[in-house]
Amino acid sequence: MPVSDFRALLRALTEGEVEFAIVGGLAAALNGAPMNTFDLDIVVSRSEDNVAKLLRVLDGIDAVYRMQPSRRLKPKPSHLSSPGHHNLITNCGPLDVLGTVGRGLGYEELLPHAIEMEIGNGQRVRVLDLATIIALKEELAGEKDLAVLPILRRTLEQIKRAGG
Amino acid sequence: MADQDPQPQTDYSEDGVDLTLIRWMLSLTPAERLDCLQRHVNAILAIRELNAGE
Repeated sequence: MPVSDFRALLRALTEGEVEFAIVGGLAAALNGAPMNTFDLDIVVSRSEDNVAKLLRVLDGIDAVYRMQPSRRLKPKPSHLSSPGHHNLITNCGPLDVLGTVGRGLGYEELLPHAIEMEIGNGQRVRVLDLATIIALKEELAGEKDLAVLPILRRTLEQIKRAGG
Repeated sequence: MADQDPQPQTDYSEDGVDLTLIRWMLSLTPAERLDCLQRHVNAILAIRELNAGE
């Protein structure tokens, strides 16, 4: 299984001019929550142009569906235009491409709740803000979501306390 | 007499979250947080690989 390389994945997406926002565990960590994760979750714009750019990037990092990697099923334009989740494995590690999160929130709806962050070497990425991550996890209320909520809530409190 | 902090800092929240760890993470830039996470992931995967045959 390829090792997770977050920077390589983000570089490929940015250089490919894909419109995306980081959500999930990596977004929480980038916002300052002390959490670990092994995959990169992104919500992407499902416009025709963006899906074409995304497919080029995914091809370049050898992305196939993670469920049956031996079958080497590659995502198609019709898949990536859907609101569903695509759990992929790439040569830079696991990548989850999400059409929507929560109750059908797509890239355009999430954009006002995303912060642009510098992650080194001049690279800037959009990251979902902590308040929205918390709201989504409260809404989903799965065991995994509930387990991390205390850390996320206390992180947001500390940010506010520090005047952020 | 010096003013007292109305909200003195504590090490743990009432629900048991380590606040010192959060404050440390918040002292880093996003780029440093990403580096930190990447190092953790690499270390965990390396240990898992070392013990895969056991």
